[in-house]
Amino acid sequence: MQRTGQCHCGSLRVIATGEPDRVYLCHCKACQRRTGTAFHFGATYPKERVRLDGDRKVYERDADSGNRIRFHFCPSCGTTLYWEGDRNPAVCGVAVGAFDTSAFPRPSDSIWEESMHTWLGLPPRMDHHRQGRPPTT
Amino acid sequence: MTKTAHCCCGALRVEASADPDTVSVCHCGECQRRTGSVFGVAAFFKREHLRAEGPSKIYIRDGQAGRKVRMHFCPTCGTTVFWEADLRPDHVGIAVGAFNDGNFPPPVLSVYDESKHGWVAFAHDLPHFATRPT
Repeated sequence: MQRTGQCHCGSLRVIATGEPDRVYLCHCKACQRRTGTAFHFGATYPKERVRLDGDRKVYERDADSGNRIRFHFCPSCGTTLYWEGDRNPAVCGVAVGAFDTSAFPRPSDSIWEESMHTWLGLPPRMDHHRQGRPPTT
Repeated sequence: MTKTAHCCCGALRVEASADPDTVSVCHCGECQRRTGSVFGVAAFFKREHLRAEGPSKIYIRDGQAGRKVRMHFCPTCGTTVFWEADLRPDHVGIAVGAFNDGNFPPPVLSVYDESKHGWVAFAHDLPHFATRPT
């Protein structure tokens, strides 16, 4: 199964093969600022199953973990489609809103709810975390 | 009370010297693509209450009925901070996430519910429109 997402103007595309490892929501302040909306809707994949097609620019910053994280966005319209970071170099993330979202799996978990907007009413049928997802040991 | 919205890297900023006239949630496909998320949240301010500073690049897209929307984003980090629409020339929309304020006024209407995700819900009552109010 292959899904193709695209930026606002259509010049940058992201092609993901297979099912994502995880589909989630993040309410952290940095995601609110980057997306401009209330939360980020993301999916993670092993890097080798995702490719980008088109011109992109990279914005790199420190993540809260202290690692570097790099966001790939379209220089023509600004949409961030893809990111990857030093914390987990085998994995990348894609912006689910770039895809035909009706065909995308529902989110399984919601993180950084300590900064979630109080007017949101999220379904109980997902894992809810006040901060990041606890490590699975 | 002054509120400031800015992009991820801080280069593009807008200062609002009054409260927004409207705050709305929009589920349209354009907002989903722009945010990469499930809906956009916009605060509409009167143009004269805003002051923008810093470099912005403009992406112009088609709105309804031949009207245009001009989206201003930061060329360094990509964040779209504000936009101007032919539909409401006296107002400017600002991406609410760019204010990073948990106490920002909640949305008072929800538009383009025809493409809303089934699992998205709100904790408060607000009017919903399949497209937008006429």
